[in-house]
Amino acid sequence: MRDYLNWAKDILISARGQGGEARDGSFLELKNVSVSFGRLTAVDQVNLVIRQGDIAAIIGPNGAGKTTMLKLISGLLPLSQGEIWFKQRRLDKISPHHIASLGVTQVFQDIQLFSNMSILENVMVGCHVWTDAGFLSTGLKLPHAKAEEKEIMERAMSKLSLVGLEQKALAPPANLSWSEQKISGLARALAAEPDLLLLDEPYGGLMTSEIEKLSQLLLKLQQGGITILMVEQRTDEALEIANQVIILDSGAKVADAAPSEIQSNEHLIATYLGGRITEGGKLHYAASE
Amino acid sequence: MDLSIVLQFFISGVNLGCIYAALGLGFFIIYSVTRVLNLAQGEFVMLGGMLTVTFYSMGVPILLSTLVAVVIAGLLGGVLYRGVIHPARNLSKATQTFLTVGFAFAIEGIALLIWGWEYRSLPNFLGTPNIHLGGATIIGQTPWVTGITLLVVTGLFFFFGHTIQGKALRACADNPLGAKTIGISVERMSLYAFILAGTLGGIAGAIITPLTMVSYSIGFPMTIKGLLAAFVGGITRAEGVILGGMVLGMAEAIAASLIPSGYHSIFALIILMAVFLCQPRGLLSSPGKT
Amino acid sequence: MPASRAVEQPGKNMKILKHTPVPILGQVKKTIELRRTKVEHLIMALVVVLFLTMPLFAGPYPLAIMMDIGFYAIVTMGLILLMGQAGQLSLGQAVFFGLGAYSSAILTTQHHLAPWLALMLAAIITGSIAAGIGRAVLRLRGIIVSGVTLVLNLIFFYLVLSLVDLTGGANGIINIPSLSPVGVIPDSLFDYYFLWIVAFLLLAFSLNLVNSRTGRALRTMNILAGGGEETAQVLGVNVMKYKVQVFTLSAVYASIAGSIYAHHIGCIEPEIFGAHLSLLVAIMAIVGGMASPWGAFLGAGLLTGLTELLGGVRVGSG
Repeated sequence: MRDYLNWAKDILISARGQGGEARDGSFLELKNVSVSFGRLTAVDQVNLVIRQGDIAAIIGPNGAGKTTMLKLISGLLPLSQGEIWFKQRRLDKISPHHIASLGVTQVFQDIQLFSNMSILENVMVGCHVWTDAGFLSTGLKLPHAKAEEKEIMERAMSKLSLVGLEQKALAPPANLSWSEQKISGLARALAAEPDLLLLDEPYGGLMTSEIEKLSQLLLKLQQGGITILMVEQRTDEALEIANQVIILDSGAKVADAAPSEIQSNEHLIATYLGGRITEGGKLHYAASE
Repeated sequence: MDLSIVLQFFISGVNLGCIYAALGLGFFIIYSVTRVLNLAQGEFVMLGGMLTVTFYSMGVPILLSTLVAVVIAGLLGGVLYRGVIHPARNLSKATQTFLTVGFAFAIEGIALLIWGWEYRSLPNFLGTPNIHLGGATIIGQTPWVTGITLLVVTGLFFFFGHTIQGKALRACADNPLGAKTIGISVERMSLYAFILAGTLGGIAGAIITPLTMVSYSIGFPMTIKGLLAAFVGGITRAEGVILGGMVLGMAEAIAASLIPSGYHSIFALIILMAVFLCQPRGLLSSPGKT
Repeated sequence: MPASRAVEQPGKNMKILKHTPVPILGQVKKTIELRRTKVEHLIMALVVVLFLTMPLFAGPYPLAIMMDIGFYAIVTMGLILLMGQAGQLSLGQAVFFGLGAYSSAILTTQHHLAPWLALMLAAIITGSIAAGIGRAVLRLRGIIVSGVTLVLNLIFFYLVLSLVDLTGGANGIINIPSLSPVGVIPDSLFDYYFLWIVAFLLLAFSLNLVNSRTGRALRTMNILAGGGEETAQVLGVNVMKYKVQVFTLSAVYASIAGSIYAHHIGCIEPEIFGAHLSLLVAIMAIVGGMASPWGAFLGAGLLTGLTELLGGVRVGSG
């Protein structure tokens, strides 16, 4: 049973991880995507290609439609127009849980850990997509469910140790600091073994020391083959680790380039990043000065 | 089909519809201000009926009995808010809804102790005789039911549209936080909503007693009918609730004319549930995400 | 759009994220095991022994109350899975209790099936009906679900009254055969053991469920505990499927209790299965605490005890 499980999982992982289509750039593609809520157009004819293995960051002012973009990809919001393709599957016609099972996992800005479960259990929930024991087999504790449960716990613990929270496994979420909660949310998403991680403001509310740690972790995930698409208000951090930066304003894409290009464009910096380039090549916020 | 029969069913449909609309409005008022489903709403109806009967049998004139009964039902609405809902205001709306069930059980238990198992009835108000209209017979109480309901509904619309208190209640319903910031006490408005709902329930109970008889146990069935009216029409709008009540009443009356007796209640209920499930936000709401 | 950082062959470095054994895993497992074994197994053993030996020293009256508690507890347990785990507020459990009772009664009195077979068929029938109802009703959210399921009580009541040929209308059905095989032990004693063994088996089933993939998936959608449908969905939980399944499961629990009730009492009438019963078990679930299936026994015990003390009425008389 155990062998069978491992075998099935390897197939699953290899089917997702080593997609040959990565080279031609069609890992994630948004074609002419628009969304309107009544008269308000939240996302306006956006075309976007995310390459496999990249860290891409969407930045832009408040209300630019950044979070909406993530929700479109994860299927939580319906498109008004356009198409979304992920590894040659069309996402905008299928339900969110189905999209999750294809290897796309979203982490919300406010994390939403389950308050009636321990951190470990929270992360174990992440394993839902690649397991399949149903009501009867879990209720009767059939061998299949038992083996799966063991596997789930081991995997969850390994994800917790990957993010450095294994000591907090049995704590309730309320006992964790905000940054620990955010990291647990990330571990929960990782337990789903995603190919594409959608992160909504991963740096939000973190302190300077924690920011560096998170960046290290995200780079480690990238090296592990996970593609990351994040939405971020804190442009400094985003530009620091991203390979691709997309600027969104009033739902329209105004720039899509490597961070170095963005950083050399005075107009973009003045308009969207609210600052200017200092000698060190780093951005300064007008507001923080 | 004979025209007089059509007339007969139309009138009884409107009559039933008025009752259901009054029941549904009680839910609407409390739900729109507090987002709690008051599952004790039917108990106010039961009390309105039982108290009217009691006072009337003690020799009090019928209209005065009704008035006193309605006032007591209204006060009990206030008691429900002050004694049960307000202390639990920090708990979830679901818990508060279940607490109203507890209150309903308590009222029912007390009613059983006071009045026992028997069904009671009243004569038509002021002894209005049955009316014969081109072959159709209209029970003498019918004009009272329709008239008083119309009066109450008109009064409510005037209250919500043209008085400060009514507008404040509406503000609470639309946007509790906003209402709070401009100095409206949401707690006080919730109290008014419960009193108003209690009063409405009491009125409904008093006017239907000559038609249907009352006992200690009619509360929950009334609650359910009122809920259905509110859901079918759309619990977020008063017009919706009234429409829902009318549709429910008409459906029952029409079913009664077309379907063998014994099946018509169930037929009406199933049709309405189907309507509701196709249009989960109610007839008078734009379709969309539920 | 040149990438600023060259990406070297994605997927090649999967090792970094590969599962590595965690040193404290064993410790964590042990702690969890201890938590479960120490508390739950001890209580379970005590409770089981108490209930199994009770007929030896208790008279018929306490046993009758114990029967009531058992019926209530099974229905409440299903509701706790539905409300406490998945956060779906149902006020229609009496309908499924009634469906179980009527199916059992009709199958045994009109089609002369063996009672135990009728019990199982009734559970399947009720489960199928519940799955259909659930699919329609659970599209709605929050408090509204409780309102709609409450309306179901009335529909069921009228339905039973209307279908006189099948249900006997207001007169109900009499002479429902007992589950007990003739002459082995007294019927009432057999029913007592049967009911409570079923209750404990269902408890074990529920506890397994709660501490498993399925239970966790149910809790993800519980807005009362930090979850929500969106969170559940992005984690790959098919929200609608799980809602319908747990709704069906709770109906099957109620149906089993209803069938045993019908065979135990021997006669049923529509009044028994009204909104009262639905509301009562909902209160039992809340009083007992919805976090654990154990709460069902607590809630059922407390409320039944309370109504007995107040000289109230038992299941079967309103």
